[in-house]
Amino acid sequence: MHMARHSYEIFNDLLLYPLFSIIVFGFMTLYLVGTTGKVVADQVLLGMILWQVLNITQYSIAVGCLWDVWSRNLTNIFITPITITEYLISYAITGTIKALIVITLASILSLFVFHLNILSMGIVNLFFIVLNLAVFGFSFGVMMLGLIFRYGTKIQAFAWGLLNVFQPLMAVIYPASILPEPFRTMSYLFAPTYAFEAMRKSMVGKNITVEIIYSFLYNLIFLIYAVLFFQYMFKKSKETGQFARLEG
Amino acid sequence: MDILKVDKLIKRFGEFMAVDTVSFSIREGETVGLLGPNGAGKTTTIQMLLGITTPTSGIITYFGRDFEKHRPEILQKINFASAFNSLQGRVTVWENLLVFAHLYQIENPLPVIKKLVSRFEMDDLVHKRYWDMSTGQRTRANFIKALLNDPKIILMDEPTASLDPDIADKTLTFIEELRKERAITILFTSHNMSEVARICDRVIFLDKGKIVAQDTPLGLTKRIQVAQLRLTFNDNKDAITAYVKEQGLNFRFDGEHVVYITTEETALPKIIFGLSKIGIWMTDIEVKKPTLEHVFLQIARGEPYVFE
Repeated sequence: MHMARHSYEIFNDLLLYPLFSIIVFGFMTLYLVGTTGKVVADQVLLGMILWQVLNITQYSIAVGCLWDVWSRNLTNIFITPITITEYLISYAITGTIKALIVITLASILSLFVFHLNILSMGIVNLFFIVLNLAVFGFSFGVMMLGLIFRYGTKIQAFAWGLLNVFQPLMAVIYPASILPEPFRTMSYLFAPTYAFEAMRKSMVGKNITVEIIYSFLYNLIFLIYAVLFFQYMFKKSKETGQFARLEG
Repeated sequence: MDILKVDKLIKRFGEFMAVDTVSFSIREGETVGLLGPNGAGKTTTIQMLLGITTPTSGIITYFGRDFEKHRPEILQKINFASAFNSLQGRVTVWENLLVFAHLYQIENPLPVIKKLVSRFEMDDLVHKRYWDMSTGQRTRANFIKALLNDPKIILMDEPTASLDPDIADKTLTFIEELRKERAITILFTSHNMSEVARICDRVIFLDKGKIVAQDTPLGLTKRIQVAQLRLTFNDNKDAITAYVKEQGLNFRFDGEHVVYITTEETALPKIIFGLSKIGIWMTDIEVKKPTLEHVFLQIARGEPYVFE
């Protein structure tokens, strides 16, 4: 949090760019209202707003750690009594707080500029969708962190870009059903796909219990995988000396 | 009581043996220097002692407890300072220290931080961003961080590397003062022999991952028995030549009025007296004794040190 106050990059990455992308999509939805109708337009805009939850939570973990690497401060942190679980949870909490701040600002913006009330999908529905997306973002960030610890800063660009590679498969602004095979099947392996499908259904007043349960299940599997993957990478990183060389 | 005990520590990176069966211990209040040429295994040893690199085998014990089994509890009582590590650059020193105070679970951090900040004369600088400070100021901030948890032992990996001589000297003075104030135990790695001779009670020489010597700085220099005598004389070069040849000494002339004689340190008074007795008028006498640096070179080169 101290870092976020002092860094223009973090301000840009976490606040400015997400809000600008929402503004761009907001104007696009104003155009779509006249062609596809208000519901589809709102679904597109809401998809982009909720995408920021994923993006920001994973970014907070992966880039948060990179800031320690770039500052050559990582060793200082890991020689304190903090456990790796505490380290990850602290990033999960700060990531979620940052995501909630952006979502709140984006919601206000979309309400007053694009006439979309994010709460119209129901507070409980919104809570479960955001929770699922945050959990996936956290899991993805943990996996990224494992890769950074294991392979060093040469793969640091993944911290910004890798999630976007999977975005087309996560049915963010369109339903997974429009994807051709085998991408459609692949799409249903990602927990966010169910969360975004739930978002679209809830906006037309449909029940989303099934989507939320699937999303939780896939999230649980991916979270377990991500934590095990991270533990293995962290162990390997310390065995090969890569962890100590991260700051070199 | 041993604060730190290292038993048969081995670190292998593939085929390369970085640390080869290293064993040593450090008593409470002792300052021990870990010396060696590049690639000797000093930094890898420190990294294993900090738990950021996993040993291939061997046991590290702090305060009589296995480091692997009691890691959080031990990390609470140790700390680290290095020229190669920094604090978070974009935030102020105060914010950095506050974060570390929480990480070390210091119950009432503000008075602890304030006291250390005053001790290191950083009251006016503490609200500056770490990156905006000079190298010397950053070094002081690093030391404050290293003392936050009132450690029983501090590991220092080349804390003066890349510092200018003035700042390096001030840093060493900090370390000397620390020893007096807190009776703290220090493990110190450096390439700089004079630094090690200045602050260390004992020196461990590493070469190619192995301990090749372990003694006090004085004890190590005693391993080189020879010293070099540089004499400046008025004239009578022939008489000097005859005398040193008769005594079977190793010598060389530098011009017409300077001679270098290399011999055992204990024989130097006898040579000076002997030359004086045959009527040599000496205008300057300089004795070059072996230093830790000569021992370092002898070990690094694997052959007896020869005065040039």
